[in-house]
Amino acid sequence: MSGTTAFWYASRATGIVALLLLTAVLVLGLLVNRQGRLPGLPRFAVTSLHRNISLLTVAFVAVHVLTAVLDTYVSIPVSAGVIPFASSYERFWLGLGAVSFDLMLAMIITSLLRGRLNRTLWRAVHLLAYVSWPVALAHSIGSSRDLQHGWMLYLGIACALIVAGATSWRLARAARQVPRAARVATAMARHLPSYASHHPRERISR
Amino acid sequence: MTSAAVQDAPVPGAAGRAPAGLPRLLPPVRGVPEDLRAHLNRHGRPPYRGGRGLLIPSVEAAGLTGRGGAAFPVHRKLRIVAAARGGRAVVVANGAESEPASRKDALLLRVAPHLVLDGIQLAAEAIGATDAHLYLHPGTGREIMRALAERHAAGIDWLAVTVTEAPPRFLAGQESALVNRLGGGPAWPTFVPPRVTERGLGGAPTLVQNVETLAHLALIARYGPGWFRELGTAREPGTMLTTVHQPGGQTQVIEAEIGTPLRTLPTGRAEAGTQAQAVLIGGFHGTWLPAGAAATLTLDNETLQRHGATVGAGVIAALPADRCGLAEAARVTRYLAAESAGQCGPCLNGLPAIAGALAELAGPGPRRATRQNAERWAGLVTGRGACGHPDGTVRFVRSALAVFAPEIGLHERGQCSATNRRPFLPLPDGIPTTEDDWA
Repeated sequence: MSGTTAFWYASRATGIVALLLLTAVLVLGLLVNRQGRLPGLPRFAVTSLHRNISLLTVAFVAVHVLTAVLDTYVSIPVSAGVIPFASSYERFWLGLGAVSFDLMLAMIITSLLRGRLNRTLWRAVHLLAYVSWPVALAHSIGSSRDLQHGWMLYLGIACALIVAGATSWRLARAARQVPRAARVATAMARHLPSYASHHPRERISR
Repeated sequence: MTSAAVQDAPVPGAAGRAPAGLPRLLPPVRGVPEDLRAHLNRHGRPPYRGGRGLLIPSVEAAGLTGRGGAAFPVHRKLRIVAAARGGRAVVVANGAESEPASRKDALLLRVAPHLVLDGIQLAAEAIGATDAHLYLHPGTGREIMRALAERHAAGIDWLAVTVTEAPPRFLAGQESALVNRLGGGPAWPTFVPPRVTERGLGGAPTLVQNVETLAHLALIARYGPGWFRELGTAREPGTMLTTVHQPGGQTQVIEAEIGTPLRTLPTGRAEAGTQAQAVLIGGFHGTWLPAGAAATLTLDNETLQRHGATVGAGVIAALPADRCGLAEAARVTRYLAAESAGQCGPCLNGLPAIAGALAELAGPGPRRATRQNAERWAGLVTGRGACGHPDGTVRFVRSALAVFAPEIGLHERGQCSATNRRPFLPLPDGIPTTEDDWA
């Protein structure tokens, strides 16, 4: 690998990793939304995982954009990273990447400011995840020869299937309406064994 | 509105002479409730200013802060609500002291109801309120209803006061929970923004003040900011009601000057051989301090904050040397965890985990990792709730882990320094577990 192609390889590599991370973030987000769990992890860990991986994804996307800009084989302006359709090279497909990245930034910024925003606004912005992910996938497949055949294509398809599966799971699983008293009693009984014996069993849900 | 011309002289119409020294809020004869006649003899009629905003400069000059625990400057809330457009504003007196270790609001409502009710009226005039509410626990309702009837007969109220009972939950007095409850819903805290000063009860800007704060306001309106500042420190003027739990087990509500040395309160004294080992300052969302350190401090936030504590709502509990601090901390943490509204994940799941760790530390032979787990989980829930419940609980837990660290060492070796297993800090009987508990 010569010095001139290093950026190109780095951009492709970080791009595909970012897609995988983004898939993970979306699936974890769906889990958080429907109070699902991962084996061996407490629920709050699923939330932190969702949060931390989304921040990691932004780092990967940033390197992905930067290395694509620094690579001299094709000229991409740095503004194309955030301004959609600002690149003359692969204008449409790179534009989709910028759109997806902007949506991610909007979600992250509103989440960081969540304490200062009203909930409806935060939620509305966060629903953009369902736009951001497909746009990111379209950008990946459209702008990269790698993803158009072979095992990389299968990887892309696998991600799509996982997201489709997780989304249908979310739609099928109604938001749980556990009464608060039962919610609190269950959490108490989990950590304080003596709590369960002093409280009626029906209050403690599984 | 400017604070250029602040009248310091007693306002015409106020019959009483400015009381010198202590107590200010509590009646001169300890524990005897003041009816309207006694109240008017002592203080005169409420000195209305005749318009919205006119009282605010005096409150600002007095430097009155909220006595519900947060010590927020009262004039700032008054200004925000008084300046809000829309023609509606609500004043709420918060007497739902939900802290099981605090007794001061219940006592004040019982022995000096008219001072609080004057405060409601004067604050209502200052913000141009269209609605006035009093929110309290069932135990104090009867005296208040009698006092309101007396005032109605005498025709001294500016606005009718609606009395609402608070559910017996720790968070029931939290500002947004209170507004939800007054609106007919359950007493659950909500996320801010919007703050209730901007959009509170029925969407109207809402001033929520602790009942003691309003009682101070009623005195400032009569005797002026200069009088108010005769006691207290320059930064934190005035007096405050404290609930003092003595190591011997007695509980006393004491009106103390802010800045008074803690050792002069009856906590540090050895009474019949009961010496304090640690002092809990600020209540169940407060901070434990070793008794030796606490004895050198004064009752004001400026001093206490240097030691990680605040006066809060004035609870000072001196734990006797013969009890196990870890057992006390575990009991209280368990109570606090069960009092989660169950809304925010970090609080709903984190507090029981922390309570479980403390229960293990309070027992014989806790595992070495348990203490670190408690510390780590405490860090994970901080700042992540709609209200301050997780943060307050963590403050309590962390200070307990620090102050009772030697005791943890003993427990790990299968020993305990306590010789008395009776619970010390007061907790309500049983733990409410139904949905109706919040309404």
